[in-house]
Amino acid sequence: MSAQSLSGEASAARAALTQALIATGEQDRSAFQQVYELTSAKLFGICIRICGDRQAAEDVLHEVYLIVWKRAGGYEPGRASPITWLATIARNRAIDWRRSPGNRASLPLGEAPDVADDAPSAIDGLLERQANGALHLCLDDLDANQGDAIRSAFFGGLTYAELAARKVVPLGTMKSWVRRGLLRLKECLDES
Amino acid sequence: MNPDQPGDEDVTAAELALGVLDGEERAVALRRLVADPAFAREVERWRAHFDVLFAQWPEQEAPAHVGYRIARSIAPRSRSSRYWPAAAGALALIAASLLLVVVLRPVAAPQLIQPSAPLVASLDPAAAGPALPAIYDPARGELRIPAGFASPAGRSAELWMIGTDGVPRSLGVLASATRTVIAIAPADRAKFTAGLKLAISSEPVGGSPTGAPTGPILAGGELISS
Repeated sequence: MSAQSLSGEASAARAALTQALIATGEQDRSAFQQVYELTSAKLFGICIRICGDRQAAEDVLHEVYLIVWKRAGGYEPGRASPITWLATIARNRAIDWRRSPGNRASLPLGEAPDVADDAPSAIDGLLERQANGALHLCLDDLDANQGDAIRSAFFGGLTYAELAARKVVPLGTMKSWVRRGLLRLKECLDES
Repeated sequence: MNPDQPGDEDVTAAELALGVLDGEERAVALRRLVADPAFAREVERWRAHFDVLFAQWPEQEAPAHVGYRIARSIAPRSRSSRYWPAAAGALALIAASLLLVVVLRPVAAPQLIQPSAPLVASLDPAAAGPALPAIYDPARGELRIPAGFASPAGRSAELWMIGTDGVPRSLGVLASATRTVIAIAPADRAKFTAGLKLAISSEPVGGSPTGAPTGPILAGGELISS
């Protein structure tokens, strides 16, 4: 997960975001604004897909950036790319929101996204690409049911029970699809 | 290995990283995360694998008013004016409830101001080294840990409470140079009784990004009456 596989331009953009995030940790409001401008579309995309509700996604996004404002001081550049760090916070907060009592009314959009591959945005250039190859090849190699369930779980923040309800299959069937898929994924990733 | 019987091989680490577990299955996996460093590393590896999928996530422009709202909420001046009415409301509620207690239960009222005895825990390190005391003060709803816990270089020491369900919940990151004082949320204070387990795990600087421990346990112990 080093920056070596990034193009020069992406590498510079990543360095700029890293700098802005570090400055945010020092309570620099203009740096925080810059982080927001660079990343809010990605993070809002995550919130809205998992929450399945626009108003809720706006509130979760607000909460996510307050967490970023408070915790950016703990961001460790060597361990994760800045956008991965931010995206993880957004996904976890959105899942927390949806799993808290009373927020289950709307089912999230669990389908794997099908538009992003064609038109990677500037921020996607900051996400690691080289490990991408292995995971995507291995995912593509799975049976359709298995690969689809694993992607839906990730992008929708869905549990086994929710996946089974979405696909209208028994819980045991869904668990078996995902577990078999994960096992094969493990073998495939270990080989590559 | 028979791929038709996935139960034969353990993919719990991957299931936890993917987030498909819930209820008791998730609680069991989280307990294992605390107890088994090899399992914790496996979960971390799977998280890194899945992270690459973020690049595929479609972007969606956030509405401008959300950006304004966020910028306003971190501005220091508007913050106090926003929070003051809520604080005043809460104070009024507390005053009203105290009044009710006094009116309805005059005999019990003195207990409200009588502080209970503190509880203490000795957090014994997983490696060699001195135990670290943790003091819970019920009167203030505060957990205090003195300075001096050495977290590994480039990592943070994060404190967890592990209640009767066995599921770790974060209490925050220990300060490295000074003593740590953690204000316990009123809803959680009832759990701070003798027998509550506390543990410290090694996490990325700033604390676990996932809400559950991701690194090995450095120290642990139970609250006892002092």
